[in-house]
Amino acid sequence: MTDAQRRWLPLPFFATVLVLWEFAVRQSGQLALYPYPSGVLRAAIRTIGDGSLLAATSGSLYRVLLGFSIAGLLGIPLGVLMGSLQPVNRAMSPIIDSLRSIAPIAWIPMALLWLGIRGNAALFIVTYAAFFPFVVNTIQAVRLVDRNLVNAARALGASRALIARTVILPGSLPVILTGARISLAFAWGAIIAAELAMGIKVSAGGSGAVGLGQLMVSTLYIRRDVNALVLYMIVVGIISFMIDLLMRRLQRNLTPWR
Amino acid sequence: MEHETSSLAMRSRVESVAMRDRGSWTHSLRRGEFVLALAAIVAVWQMVSVSVNNKTLVPPPLLVLDAWIGLWAAELPGDILASLVHLGVGYGLGIAAGLALALLAARFLLFEAIIDPMVEILRPISAIAWIPIAILMFGIGRGVPIFLIFYAAIFPVFINTLAGIKQVDPHLLQAAQMLGASRRMIVTHVVMPAALPLILAGARLSLGVAWMAMVAGELTGADSGLGWRIFWYQEFFAMDKVMAVILTIGILGYILDTLLRWLQARITRWSQDGSEAGR
Amino acid sequence: MDAKIEGVGLSKTYVSARTGDRVEALRDISFRIMPNEFVSIVGPSGCGKSTLLSLVAGFVSPSAGKVLVDAVAVSAPDPRRGVMFQEYALFPWRTVLGNVEFGPLAQGASPAARRAVAQRYIDMVGLAGFEGRYPHELSGGMRQRCALARLLANEPEVWLMDEPLAAVDLQTRNILQDELLRLWGDAGDPASRRAVMFVTHGIDEAVYLSDRVIVLGRRPGQVKDVVSIDLPRPRRSLRNTAAAGRFIDHIWNLIRDEAAQAIVEETS
Repeated sequence: MTDAQRRWLPLPFFATVLVLWEFAVRQSGQLALYPYPSGVLRAAIRTIGDGSLLAATSGSLYRVLLGFSIAGLLGIPLGVLMGSLQPVNRAMSPIIDSLRSIAPIAWIPMALLWLGIRGNAALFIVTYAAFFPFVVNTIQAVRLVDRNLVNAARALGASRALIARTVILPGSLPVILTGARISLAFAWGAIIAAELAMGIKVSAGGSGAVGLGQLMVSTLYIRRDVNALVLYMIVVGIISFMIDLLMRRLQRNLTPWR
Repeated sequence: MEHETSSLAMRSRVESVAMRDRGSWTHSLRRGEFVLALAAIVAVWQMVSVSVNNKTLVPPPLLVLDAWIGLWAAELPGDILASLVHLGVGYGLGIAAGLALALLAARFLLFEAIIDPMVEILRPISAIAWIPIAILMFGIGRGVPIFLIFYAAIFPVFINTLAGIKQVDPHLLQAAQMLGASRRMIVTHVVMPAALPLILAGARLSLGVAWMAMVAGELTGADSGLGWRIFWYQEFFAMDKVMAVILTIGILGYILDTLLRWLQARITRWSQDGSEAGR
Repeated sequence: MDAKIEGVGLSKTYVSARTGDRVEALRDISFRIMPNEFVSIVGPSGCGKSTLLSLVAGFVSPSAGKVLVDAVAVSAPDPRRGVMFQEYALFPWRTVLGNVEFGPLAQGASPAARRAVAQRYIDMVGLAGFEGRYPHELSGGMRQRCALARLLANEPEVWLMDEPLAAVDLQTRNILQDELLRLWGDAGDPASRRAVMFVTHGIDEAVYLSDRVIVLGRRPGQVKDVVSIDLPRPRRSLRNTAAAGRFIDHIWNLIRDEAAQAIVEETS
């Protein structure tokens, strides 16, 4: 099979799958029970049209970006400290490592208690999830900066600040950006998880900001629209994919020498 | 987007190595410092809880410890068992499915050409996004966490196994052929052992995501297990017990990963990066 | 006597399944190797000697022509045609014993039987005491001995060797050459010797070991000449003699120009 053939194989294959899927569900007559392609399409038209999809998605994305930024502002400096100063590293890394192994959404009950439902609990979870990749990757980034380059700059008479700006920062940028990419991916996963958990478990009808996760829950329990659920799943996937694509592009543009 | 067969595999492989390395720096620590740091956390925690002075909002460390010990005589063992059952079934099935799919994809080019785009489409859709559909399919119970774990575990194993199979030295295959090995024997005695280092790396990655999926699934769609129990205690505002369960989840996850890491090191001692796998 | 191995009008053109590029590796090669003969294949880089060996081994099929072993066409690898690889191709997860007994294992021998066979050949190649070692714990020379023992354990009728001594240092190589000759039966009855097809870059090695040397030209691979090495056996004392030197000179002159061309082409 040549490369060209491979490239064009998925299209007819998936088209066939979609057609068969639609046919099978219509044949069964259970249109309320099973999702089907045209139903998903109609759900898309509806939720985009009445603005609910856009509102929910932007609500989630807003908290993702906020949490991501906070995590970066906290995590990168900590990572720099831990990567450059051994005593700090030795002190902090057991803490970091232990906290890292606890799944972010396990903290939801505590977060709800401390921060309440008005979106801040979810923000906490997102920040928590996004924090560790920043720290871990920044530590590695700082360590990987070539000793020789630093020494060369020092020999040329550069001050500490200049070295930090022109050698350490660009040198560690690639790995820090990788950390940012992983962090954003984690953040997106965390917001959906947090919103879902809060939507399902907190029946107090609490009017927190409505994100995609809460929309999914209300569709599950109230509207009972299976097609919309599949649509939301796809949206989650699309955004995941685009986040990854965007971050990789950003990485390439900011570090062209790689 | 590249359509090389190995672009997906290579990307994940690199990520798997990167994630492996990311854990490595902690193991150069000495045990004494760990205890010291732990004492420091507990001390800070105690100070915060004293100043807040609200046992529900910030349960003091001693209270949590007491609750934890008490739980061992009560529900904790049962919850741990339930979670481990969820994990065992979901992870086991996921690993088996991932291996089988990878073997099929390695053997039949057509199969790989079909499965590669499917994986590329499904992979961005995390297990979490499946929760509502899973609840519809299985109802509240064991089905949701098991399905989530299964789904999460398949991808890293599939991708890494396929990459592992593809990087088997063709001379090894030729050697086996010339020695008279049957096709089946070549798969079991040459391909599988040669691919093992990468397969185990995939298994470890899978365990990580499976563990997260387990917590998420139990939290939202189950009626048993540690994740479910967190919210059960929260209903009574027994936050000391909530903390105790959260810590248990963290410790258990760490133990499982350590076990797998040990296994990885033992089995792949013979490989060039056997020493690296020990980290 | 009939030939043990016979190549009839062999041609091989590689076509890339993905891009469609064509590379003609061999064109119209014919040769014969008699049952007790040691034949070397030499030639400059790119002359297709390894391809030729792959064809005889059965790893690839010819685009034209055929390979006959005992007058039967070759279509697949077979334990009767044992192969030794340049990079040893030892199974890294198996011990020396595990590697050597792989052949008998594949043939369905019982654990006791295959252990006995393996032990015999391990002793024969001089690796006694190292049965439990893994390949990464062995030196290059020892790995090659292990590969040889693994080959012999199946008692093949034909030995196919693809630059087996290229990865070891010169001194080890000389020692291993003598070992190879000893195991082959250089000093014994000619009738006990197996047919050997030995691919190598080293002309001196080819002259030292072989009864005949087939010289290939490059791009595409073709037979330039076949030189009979009528030096007496055992060859042990004949390393670096004038007689050997004359053969080496003759063969080198045949391929010198193409070898130089190969260097230029490989670098650019």
